[in-house]
Amino acid sequence: MSGESANAILRSQVDLLDFIDWSGVECLNQNTAHSLPNALKQGYREDDGLNLESDADEQLLIHIPFTQVIKLHSIVIKGTEEEGPKTVKLFSNRDHMGFSNVNDFPASDSAVLTPENLQGKPVVLKFVKFQNVRSLAIFIEDNQGGSDVTKVQKIALFGTTVETTDMKGLKKIEDGH
Amino acid sequence: MVLEATMICIDNSEWMRNGDYSPSRLRAQSDAVSLICGAKTQSNPENTVGVLTMAGKGVRVLTTPTTDLGKILACMHDIEMGGEMNIAAGIQVAQLALKHRQNKNQHQRIIVFAGSPLKNDKKVMEMIGKKLKKNSVALDIVNFGEEDDGKPEKLEALLAAVNNNESSHIVNIPPGPNALSDLLISTPIFNVDGGGSGFAAAAVAAAAGNVSDFEFGVDPNIDPELALALRVSMEEERARQEAAAKKAADEAVKEGKGEEPPSSSQDATMTENFNAAAEATEKTAEPMDEENALLQRALSVSMNTTGPDSSVADAVMSEANEDKELALALQMSMQEDIKDPSNQTDISKVLGDQSFVSSILTSLPGVDPNDPSVKDLIASLQGQPESSQQKKDEDEPPKADK
Repeated sequence: MSGESANAILRSQVDLLDFIDWSGVECLNQNTAHSLPNALKQGYREDDGLNLESDADEQLLIHIPFTQVIKLHSIVIKGTEEEGPKTVKLFSNRDHMGFSNVNDFPASDSAVLTPENLQGKPVVLKFVKFQNVRSLAIFIEDNQGGSDVTKVQKIALFGTTVETTDMKGLKKIEDGH
Repeated sequence: MVLEATMICIDNSEWMRNGDYSPSRLRAQSDAVSLICGAKTQSNPENTVGVLTMAGKGVRVLTTPTTDLGKILACMHDIEMGGEMNIAAGIQVAQLALKHRQNKNQHQRIIVFAGSPLKNDKKVMEMIGKKLKKNSVALDIVNFGEEDDGKPEKLEALLAAVNNNESSHIVNIPPGPNALSDLLISTPIFNVDGGGSGFAAAAVAAAAGNVSDFEFGVDPNIDPELALALRVSMEEERARQEAAAKKAADEAVKEGKGEEPPSSSQDATMTENFNAAAEATEKTAEPMDEENALLQRALSVSMNTTGPDSSVADAVMSEANEDKELALALQMSMQEDIKDPSNQTDISKVLGDQSFVSSILTSLPGVDPNDPSVKDLIASLQGQPESSQQKKDEDEPPKADK
C-alpha cells in the first residue's frame, strides 16, 4: 500500500506552489508576526525556525486560491510534536469561510496527523474529491498537545493541473527526438 | 483607501437623555454617525456602513451595511431612547451582520459608542475581543457619557483582546462645549491612513461655521498653497485699502486748499506720510511716486494764485487716476466758486434795478410810496441817473393803488 502510494506520488508529483494565486491567499487567526508565508513560500517553509502560528486560539483557517484548476493528490504538513496540527479538514472550492460556518459543510476530506506526517510524510487524499479544485481551504481544528498555540512549519501541496498533460512523461517516451 | 464594511453600534439607553453633550447625547451620536458615514464613503466609494442600536427592547439592526447614506440618515431619525445597553450582544450581532456582507472582500470593522455603564464583566469582554480578533474584525470604541467604575478598564481589556496590528482604537470623549463629532474628527477613527482627513477638514469648516482653528478656514497642512495664496491676497487688499484711504484723505486736504491759503506744513506732513508709506510698501511704490509728483505740482500751483488755479487744479485732478468721481466733484466745486462772484453781481444788478425795487416796495402793505422816507430810501438805492424813470414809476404805482 505504501509502495503504491509512493509510486502514485512520484507519478503525479508536481508541487502546486507555482499555481497558487498569492493575491487571494488568506489565513484567519494567524499571528501577524508568524504568518502564512512562513509555511507556504519557497525557502521560508524549508526553514524550521519560521512558523505559521495561531493567535487567539489554536484553530487556523487557511484559504488558498489557485491560478488554474488543479487536481489535488496529497499534502505535506510539517510541525513540532507538541504544537503541530492534529485534526485537519480540507474544503475544495469554498470561498470566504469563517470559523462559525466551517462545520456547516461536510469536508472534502479530513485527516488526523500522525507524528510521521509531522515529519514530512505526505497525507494522501481522496483524489476523487479533488478533481476540479479552484481554491482550497485548510481548517486546522486542534493541535497535538492541546495548547493554545498551533505552530506549522511547512505546508506543501502535490497534484496535477487539469489543462496541461504530464510533459515529463511525454518526453521520456519520445526520447529519440 | 481600505475597502471596509463598518457596523456602528449606537447606545440609545436612558442615559442618553442627558444633555451634557449638546443637544443631547443621542443627538450627538447621530451627528457623529453621519460624519463617519460620509468619511468612510468618501475614502472609498465601495465602503459600506450599517447601524444598529444596542439598548431599547433588544439589539436591533437598523440598516445592514450599505453604501446609501440617505438610508442611514433616515434610520437615525427614528431612534427611541430607553432600556439599558447590552454591549456584548450588540457587538456579536454586529459581527453577524458583517459576516453576511455582500462583498466578502471588504475588511470588517465595528464602531461602538459606549455611553452608559457596562454590565458585563471583564472576562466576557475579553472573550468577545478574542472572537473578533479570530475573525479579523477590527473594533473602534468611543468612550463617552457615564464615567463608571471599571468601565475604562473593561474597555481597555476589550481593546487589548481585539487589537491586531494597531487596527483597533479607543477614544475617550469628555463632556464639554465642543460637539462629540468635532472631537471625533481628529481621532484615528476618522484619520485612517489620512484618507478621511480631507473630508474631515471640510466637515470642520462646514459644520463649525466660523469656528476654525486655522486662518481662512483652510488647513495649512492639507492645502498649503491655498492657505498661502489667501494670506497674500488679504495682505494685498489691506495695503491697497490703506493706500486708497490715504489718497482720499490727501485729496480732501487738496480740496481745502482751493478755498483757503494752503497750509504748507500740513501738506508737508502729508507728503512725509506719503513718503513713509511709499517706503513701507514696496508694491505701491510706483503709484506713490506719481502721487508725490502730482502733489508737488498742486502745491506750487496753489501757492501762486487762488483765482486761475482752478483750471490748473482741474487739470491736476483729471490726471489723478483714482477716484474720478472725486475729481469731478472737485471740479464742480471749483466752478461754483467762480460762479459765486458772478452770482453776487447778478444779485446786485437785481437790487440796482430801481423800478423793480420800487414796485416791490410799493406792493408791500403799509408802504406809502408818497411817504418822504420811502422816497429817500429809494433815492439812496438809486445809484444811476434813472430818476426820471423812478418818478414815472412812482406815479404809476400810486395810480395803481388808487
